[in-house]
Amino acid sequence: MLMRRLVLAIPLLIGILFFTFMLIRLGGQDPVGLLAGPTATTEEIEIVRAELGLDKPLFTQFWLFLGDVVQGDIGKSWISNRSVTLDILERIPITLELLLWGVALGSVIGVPVGLRAAFRHDKWFDHISRGISLLGFSIPTYFLALLLLFVFFFLLGWSPPGMGRISLLISPPPTVTGSYLIDGLLAGDLEVARSAVAQLILPIIAVAIISAAPIVKHTRAIALEIISSDFVRFARASGLPSEKVSRIVLKNSSTPVTTFIGTELTGLVGSVSLIEFVFAWGGVGQYGLNAIIRGDFAAVQGYVLFLALFSLVVFIIVDLLVLVLEPRAVAE
Amino acid sequence: MSLLQVRDLHTHFISRNLDNEIRVAKALNGVSFEVSRGEVLGLVGETGAGKSLTAYSVMDLLKPPAKVVGGTVEFDGRNLRDLEAEDMNKLRGSEIAMVVQNPRSSLDPLTRVGEQLIRVHTAHTDTSESAARARAIEKLGAVGIPAPEQRMRAWPHELSGGMAQRVLIAMALMNEPKLIIADEPTTGLDVTVQAQILDLLRELVVTHNVAAMVITHDLGIVAHYCNRMAVMFAGRIVETGDVETVFDNPSHPYTRTLIASTPERLKEGKQKVLGGGAPPNLYNLPPGCHYVERCRFADESCNKPLSLDQVGDGHFAMCTRLDAVREGWPS
Repeated sequence: MLMRRLVLAIPLLIGILFFTFMLIRLGGQDPVGLLAGPTATTEEIEIVRAELGLDKPLFTQFWLFLGDVVQGDIGKSWISNRSVTLDILERIPITLELLLWGVALGSVIGVPVGLRAAFRHDKWFDHISRGISLLGFSIPTYFLALLLLFVFFFLLGWSPPGMGRISLLISPPPTVTGSYLIDGLLAGDLEVARSAVAQLILPIIAVAIISAAPIVKHTRAIALEIISSDFVRFARASGLPSEKVSRIVLKNSSTPVTTFIGTELTGLVGSVSLIEFVFAWGGVGQYGLNAIIRGDFAAVQGYVLFLALFSLVVFIIVDLLVLVLEPRAVAE
Repeated sequence: MSLLQVRDLHTHFISRNLDNEIRVAKALNGVSFEVSRGEVLGLVGETGAGKSLTAYSVMDLLKPPAKVVGGTVEFDGRNLRDLEAEDMNKLRGSEIAMVVQNPRSSLDPLTRVGEQLIRVHTAHTDTSESAARARAIEKLGAVGIPAPEQRMRAWPHELSGGMAQRVLIAMALMNEPKLIIADEPTTGLDVTVQAQILDLLRELVVTHNVAAMVITHDLGIVAHYCNRMAVMFAGRIVETGDVETVFDNPSHPYTRTLIASTPERLKEGKQKVLGGGAPPNLYNLPPGCHYVERCRFADESCNKPLSLDQVGDGHFAMCTRLDAVREGWPS
């Protein structure tokens, strides 16, 4: 099953690369003028264009690009002149630290709230949690991030300014995992770890809020469907005590809820870029967003490839989790 | 003494419309019947007549907006409507067991068949796990499941519909119930499997001396497998009696219509189907007979309140125009 999924992913990845490749090039942005500078002559511009390989037909460009990607080379950023592959690999742990903590917190809050809302269907808990989750749905991501900073940094002064992953006064720990918190702990430097935690709290809360809203909504819907299923009705008709009936509901909800959180993760890895932007987080998301704004073709390409590979990995992990949760899947 | 005596049971669906006015759908309007040990009562009627609702009202398994608003349910000397929720839950699955429609989707998909049988038993008794296991294997064998020991390890999705229904029947037997309520137990099963399941149910009624109530819309099932029958229409029992008596001498025009609509009778070509149509609006029922709109014998006397009157030995019908029906029914 795993092998099949991986093999099927190859044409999918090529397709994604192809469409992003064409889309950015047909988007009307011309990086050549930007790179050559405002005083460049026409000949100079053409020289730069030839250097970048942008004078060749589009399909030839794509073919050459694909050859490079297979060797792990997505190209060079035209802005930093560094390898995009390295740029992104360096930033992946930075984004994951924010995303995974945030979604974990969002799930720890969202799943129990959703379940409770389903068990208290149409009671006040259900209504209130639905109202709050609607609020979480409607608030724009960047606005939420700004609002958190405004309240907790500017008004209350509880939080440090949203200027990166560690206080400017503290030098970062030696890189092991790329997460300042973990690396600080590994280095035994509690001050670094404390500063990293302080910087993490607000952006994590932002991710938790935008992830918890849909998790509440879907967990509630999944549990409600199972509560009204034939087998729960029959369990009641068999006189099973209500704790046992609840356990049947929980067990049968676990797979769909896990799958949903996985899907949620693949969507959030994109929207987390706005939160990174507001908090000057410096992860892949912010990198990708900058690349899009500046027309940095190779970096955009690298970002999209990262998103696709991330989704692939998440779905594989979800599949493995389902194997653990679903005894039937193992039996087959 | 009957095991289960239901008297004047009323169940309503109480909701509010968009103008916040209370709306009441009178789904059960004074249902009365009884079942004794060793007999099978067939509850028959069209969709929406309230057959399943009667069962769920007796079991106290209604969900809002449905609510029992009147009547008594006497079971083995107790009025079930006076029982605490917890005591009622102890009764369910032990003294009163249910066999339902859609057996495959009624089994917990993530639990092996054996575990489900065991947990129904241990939930109601202090039996040890191993004793419950032995009992489960015995009951699976009793309902005719081959290799019961291996079947204990089966997942619900590995069972055919007929097998799953046998498992549900085995589950019903786990706690030696006094009453089995079978709600359309064979809908969706092959005809041959249907016959096997119903034969099994009937046999168990005799061997275990339990009372059974079979809910169906199939008169053929009633004719072959039931001792007594009750015909429901729009939340009332309009005719009840021994199966032979009712089939030989149907009194209520609705019963006559049902019997005339069976494939065998239609094939004879003699009888005509009369009185078809939609069920009446439960929000706005006629004051007297509920069948009045579909009955060709109706007159003004049908608008008066009416009762289930004796028309023969143990045979009752709810109709004021019995004579007119008997004379006027096309033969």
